[in-house]
Amino acid sequence: MNINNYITSNVTIVKNVVYHNERPIFENRDADLSAFLLSVYQHLEVSYPKFYKMDNLSKLGWLATEVLLKDSDIKQYQPEEVGLILSNANASLDSDKRYMQSVADIPSPALFVYTLPNIMIGEICIRNHFKGEDAFFIFEKFDAVFIEQYVNGLLSNNVLQTCICGWVDVLNEEYKAVLFLVEKTKKANAVPFSAKNLNVIFDNLVIDKL
Amino acid sequence: MSSPVYIAGVGVITAIGNNVAEHLLAFSERKAGMGDITLLNTKHKGELPVAEVKLDNNALANLAGISSKTSRTKMLSLIAAREAMNDAAIPKFSELRTGFVSANTVGGMDKSEDFFVDFLADNNKGKLRDIFDHECGSITEVVADELGITDYMTTISTACSSSANAIFYGARLIKNDLLDVVIAGGADALAKFTLNGFNTLMILDKEYCRPFDDTREGLNLGEGAGYVVLVSDEVAKTLNKPVYCALSGYNNSNDAYHQTASSPDGTGSYMAMQGALNKAGLKPTDISYINLHGTGTPNNDSAEGTAIKRLFEPDFPPMSSTKSFTGHTLGASGGVEAVFSVLSIKHGLIYPNLRFKTQMHELPFAPETEYLKGQPIKNVLSNSFGFGGNCTSLIFSAV
Repeated sequence: MNINNYITSNVTIVKNVVYHNERPIFENRDADLSAFLLSVYQHLEVSYPKFYKMDNLSKLGWLATEVLLKDSDIKQYQPEEVGLILSNANASLDSDKRYMQSVADIPSPALFVYTLPNIMIGEICIRNHFKGEDAFFIFEKFDAVFIEQYVNGLLSNNVLQTCICGWVDVLNEEYKAVLFLVEKTKKANAVPFSAKNLNVIFDNLVIDKL
Repeated sequence: MSSPVYIAGVGVITAIGNNVAEHLLAFSERKAGMGDITLLNTKHKGELPVAEVKLDNNALANLAGISSKTSRTKMLSLIAAREAMNDAAIPKFSELRTGFVSANTVGGMDKSEDFFVDFLADNNKGKLRDIFDHECGSITEVVADELGITDYMTTISTACSSSANAIFYGARLIKNDLLDVVIAGGADALAKFTLNGFNTLMILDKEYCRPFDDTREGLNLGEGAGYVVLVSDEVAKTLNKPVYCALSGYNNSNDAYHQTASSPDGTGSYMAMQGALNKAGLKPTDISYINLHGTGTPNNDSAEGTAIKRLFEPDFPPMSSTKSFTGHTLGASGGVEAVFSVLSIKHGLIYPNLRFKTQMHELPFAPETEYLKGQPIKNVLSNSFGFGGNCTSLIFSAV
């Protein structure tokens, strides 16, 4: 099977720097994770009050998607044509722990609703009105081969016309987000959607060539 | 694909009865199933009312004819699915293409909770047998085996709309000529997992629930199972008794608003009801009775009511929430209430909405509070709306 899909946009958020298409677009080195995420939100100059209610995992994935889609033609797709396939190592453990701490006093409904990693996918879908196929997978490490096969399957069977995929992981102050926008048509600066290119972009945050 | 799908059998078990006959009696006697917790081992005993099936695991296992060491979800599922299958009494069943589409949301969590007490203290302890059924699909597999269904089985878990979606999916399998017969519905047992989860969300009422009442404060959890036997036109012709009715319409829509709440204007519920009417080729005025989702939470009843107002005004059919009898059986509720909808058509019944006293200020209609029989019921709309905005409406029509 000859599959020609393309990574038309990518974003990485790690070590308090936001990269869009491998170029740093924002940094805030001296902030803890919560303060850093807030500073990214403010930098993007969007108004979305629900952002403040989210847990750190959802905030991270949500912000990464905002950057990923910034200059894209995502609006040309029907809601059912856009899907999300995300993964990480720690599921919603960051919120699970916070929730368990709250149980000692009064269990917090606000924390409880974030004790599933696919809630992040929900937040992204609500923001962008996406209604296509979605799934969340837990791996010890980023599995580019799996993502390539799974997403190609969805696109070549016309389950989706475009897919946001990648990795969004948070545990305490440790975090990393790398998202890819995969489309069927080649655009300026697009690279072929392959496990190799996914890994190159994922690991390339050796782009600490800042 | 316009070939009809018929209902040939029904089976149900909840806090108000262990079979269809006991349910019909409980409805006529207005006997609700809520009470103090007696079986579930939880610190909320005496504080949160629930609607338990009034049989402990040994008695339930006896009724199901399987081991009492297994998950309660599995026992409930088998009891109701078997009743439905026996009720349908389909000739030459084993020669047909048969399927079991079963929903649940807790799987064998009731047993997993026992396992973890020992396991957390010492991870060499704990009986592995107790987590055998942890996965939702395990419940479906064992029950399908017991029923002798081997052609197709699958498990659906979409929160509180789970078993309505199972019925919806089963109907499509028949319409597309993939199967001849599908037993579809779902089951859920009470577990600490769900009780504590809903308690955290602050949507459990410490009193008996009051669906569609202005003073409502939340839901009561229930447990149970409900299944319908869906058959193709060809199978219907071979039956030794008339079918109950047809499944004429169905729709699933999502308002993508909040993880655990409906949008205030009930967009998802509106689209689900409208879509089901379109599918059935019916107008709102054709609906004889609405079996409401009606959980008794402030959010659900307000959103569902607003959607009904928008779709049905000014002619509101009789409607009621049977959760005022059974509590909210979660993944089972769509199946349980599908059975009630089918029985409504068969016996001309409208079920009372118990404990309704105060008109909701934002709605121009009230639920039916009387038990009515001998009614001319042609089309019943059954709503099942789940977390994640997953809204499903089914329409059953007399034939």
